[in-house]
Amino acid sequence: MTLITTRPGPGTARPYRFPTVVRRDVAGGRVVAAHLPGQNLAVALLLLDAGAGREPVGKEGLGAVLAKALEEGTAHRDATGFALAVEGLGTELATGLDWDTFQVSVQVPVDRLGAAVELLAEAVRTPRLDPDDVRRVRDDEATALRMDWANPGPRADAVLRADLFGAQHRWGRPLYGDPDSVAGLDVEDVTVFHSEWFLRPGTLVVAGDLDRLDLDALGAAAFAGTGGGPVERGGPIEVPLPTGRRIILVDRPGSVQSTLRLGHPAPHRAHPDHVPMTLAGTVLGGAFTSRLNHLIREVRGYTYGIRGDFASSRRFGRFAVSSGVQTAVTAPALVEAVGEITRTRVGGVTEDELAVARFWRAGQLSVELQSPRAIASALTTLVVHDLPDDYHARLREALLAADVAQVSAAAATHLHPEALTLVIEGDAALIRDELVASGLGEVTDHVG
Amino acid sequence: MPDSGYPWPIETTRLDNGLRVVVSEDRTAPAVAVNLWYDVGSRHEPAGQTGFAHLFEHLMFEGSVNVAKTEHMKLIQGSGGSLNATTNPDRTNYFETVPAEHLELALWLEADRMGGLVPALTQHTLDNQRDVVKNERRQRYENVPYGDAWLRLLPLLYPPGHPYHHATIGSMADLNAADLATFQAFHQTYYAPDNAVLTVVGDATAAEVFALAQRYFGAIPARGDIPAAPDGHTVARTGRPAVETVTAEVPAARVYVAHRTHPFGSPGYDVATVAATVLGSGRGSRLYQRLADGERLAQPDLVGAYGVDLAHAPAPVIATATARPGVSAQRLAAGVAEVVDELATVPVTATELDRAKALLSTAWWRQMATVDGRADALGRYATQFGDPAKTADRLPGWLSVTAGQIAELAADLLTPTDRVTLTYLPEETS
Repeated sequence: MTLITTRPGPGTARPYRFPTVVRRDVAGGRVVAAHLPGQNLAVALLLLDAGAGREPVGKEGLGAVLAKALEEGTAHRDATGFALAVEGLGTELATGLDWDTFQVSVQVPVDRLGAAVELLAEAVRTPRLDPDDVRRVRDDEATALRMDWANPGPRADAVLRADLFGAQHRWGRPLYGDPDSVAGLDVEDVTVFHSEWFLRPGTLVVAGDLDRLDLDALGAAAFAGTGGGPVERGGPIEVPLPTGRRIILVDRPGSVQSTLRLGHPAPHRAHPDHVPMTLAGTVLGGAFTSRLNHLIREVRGYTYGIRGDFASSRRFGRFAVSSGVQTAVTAPALVEAVGEITRTRVGGVTEDELAVARFWRAGQLSVELQSPRAIASALTTLVVHDLPDDYHARLREALLAADVAQVSAAAATHLHPEALTLVIEGDAALIRDELVASGLGEVTDHVG
Repeated sequence: MPDSGYPWPIETTRLDNGLRVVVSEDRTAPAVAVNLWYDVGSRHEPAGQTGFAHLFEHLMFEGSVNVAKTEHMKLIQGSGGSLNATTNPDRTNYFETVPAEHLELALWLEADRMGGLVPALTQHTLDNQRDVVKNERRQRYENVPYGDAWLRLLPLLYPPGHPYHHATIGSMADLNAADLATFQAFHQTYYAPDNAVLTVVGDATAAEVFALAQRYFGAIPARGDIPAAPDGHTVARTGRPAVETVTAEVPAARVYVAHRTHPFGSPGYDVATVAATVLGSGRGSRLYQRLADGERLAQPDLVGAYGVDLAHAPAPVIATATARPGVSAQRLAAGVAEVVDELATVPVTATELDRAKALLSTAWWRQMATVDGRADALGRYATQFGDPAKTADRLPGWLSVTAGQIAELAADLLTPTDRVTLTYLPEETS
């Protein structure tokens, strides 16, 4: 047999091109669209400045409950009528929530987008919000969270977030709230949040074949009956680093794996080091061949996977590592993970590793930006972070240009292994002694 | 109504060693999807070797004669690509999407592990990936509530000896017993060009791909006599329902109601697919309307129905619901069963049918919106039905289903006597 032994080099790359972006002010709101010629499907996504950061402390989960309540009937039709109308077009109302925005979107064959946006607007702008329905949706949401929190992960995430950011702040509490915070909401919380944040026009993001779409009509439908201008969004929040490394143990008796969540605060999205930080995170824990995955999975076999990254919103950010490891190797896995973070901070990255990270992140801007849904998400980034039309092309250049010195400097500046909080959700009785003996940090048991 | 679900060109060829090559050119984005379907899955595993096809999938990333351990991942990601592989009862697929200038690299890597895996396979690699897979089993099946539902449903749906009787992830005991020689033989038996389909979709011409396929795969010898999996097309009806109740650490009672229907790809399974969508997809579905909204027995986010697209035996349609607080498992199970039974007795209305078809149409075009989605579909139809162009028939097949056909299917196959019911009960808490 003769396999070709020499690895082939690349051919000639075609120039990178993000779809043409169109921005237009319509009916008091803003439409931001990308032209996808020949594409059968189209996506419309209404972006509201109503992210979890707008929820008052103690009212976590408000946005998530309101999202569900939007579908419980409108001024024009009851819940069943609404479901049949939307699904009859071939879509469901998809809602999303992050720290900066609330999003509602539809995805349909392009000739149905107008009708779908009208229904989307009907739900967002004129929901019925009948008190009995709101209470039931709230109870269902609390139950859904209870179900979700029975899985490993959500409790550990909440404990880490509270420790990094402080539970006295909204951003120190879970994005979607917890079962108790949701159960404690009342009807008025929901209706007031709606009238305060869901009747402002917002931005309509459209991805599809613009030759077959009327952006003015879509905007007019999305922004009809809205009013009120943009509201001050607040600047970056200074989050102090913890003074020492510590372990918080969250008991989950009978677990066959320990769920690991390691993290510390990191810069917000607009920080000038965004690109080198992203690349440092990719080398350490983003790519499959990252330092963490290579050591903990491919060499040790402790886990199905481990990843780490920097993530950021407009006002704050964090570095975090997450994994599930076999119970018996919890302490060694932690020691090795902290070791890799330390090594990356101290020694920086190598050109070989950075090459993978650089080309991967750059290539993903072509490979992963194909579908209307993915393009709509990319447009959302432009809107939320006030970025220009050619942002993705510029990002690609910045990724490809980043060198070892810059990325190593970002690792040295923004990785803080000595300030990590290590949250371990697992069978405490089996792992506590080992964690104490590891010397990684003082061990405290999470109460509650 | 579109008369085709695949309005792009398709060109095919077959190398002398039996490798089928499928190309669908699309210059929209400077990206290309490479996809290999190997016609081997967990249905081929004999007793005592459950989980081997999937564990083998892991070994395919651990190096081959010209590619060092984990270098495959590094080279694809280092070219800007995305990659993965999956194993199911029917088959194993390997795929990467890369910027178009790296097409040749992707083909070289795939050829090297098709033709040159065995010499690079070591005991050390096997032991490492066995540990990884055991952790995958813990993470996905053992450490999460209801995580083992699929593992429990399969033996209830398919009798011992049937190729779908056991789950793809396999048993811990079998994984522990896996030895190197078995895996070397597994590759030699199944990872042959005449047991695979190579599909390339995106920014490349057919002529270019055919030439590269010949260059990189052409010298790999055909296997010839590839052993077939046991035939599972006929599953005798027992005439009695199968019922299993599990008490486990779960937050609420949950019910799965499952039926064997028809093999994926058959007209009957198109009917089953539309029926499942009417039954359990979206807020306008019967299960949602009746159990989440109407009687309020079920949690709204956790009610649904779906078919599992398996092609080598009557494929399952599964309906599931999770109890609202205060609702008993018996009441919930009776509610789900009643809604399923009514598919035979309460005719599906035009509105219900249109809704289901609209949702399925969007789902179809969503898969077709990316070069990787298209490549996997073409590979599937070439592997399972001998012709990638049959991809175009699926959407029209769904759209042609009638209410009468759904009622007939329900009366024939979704009957109480031929039903599998799996119920989870929460442990008593003090």
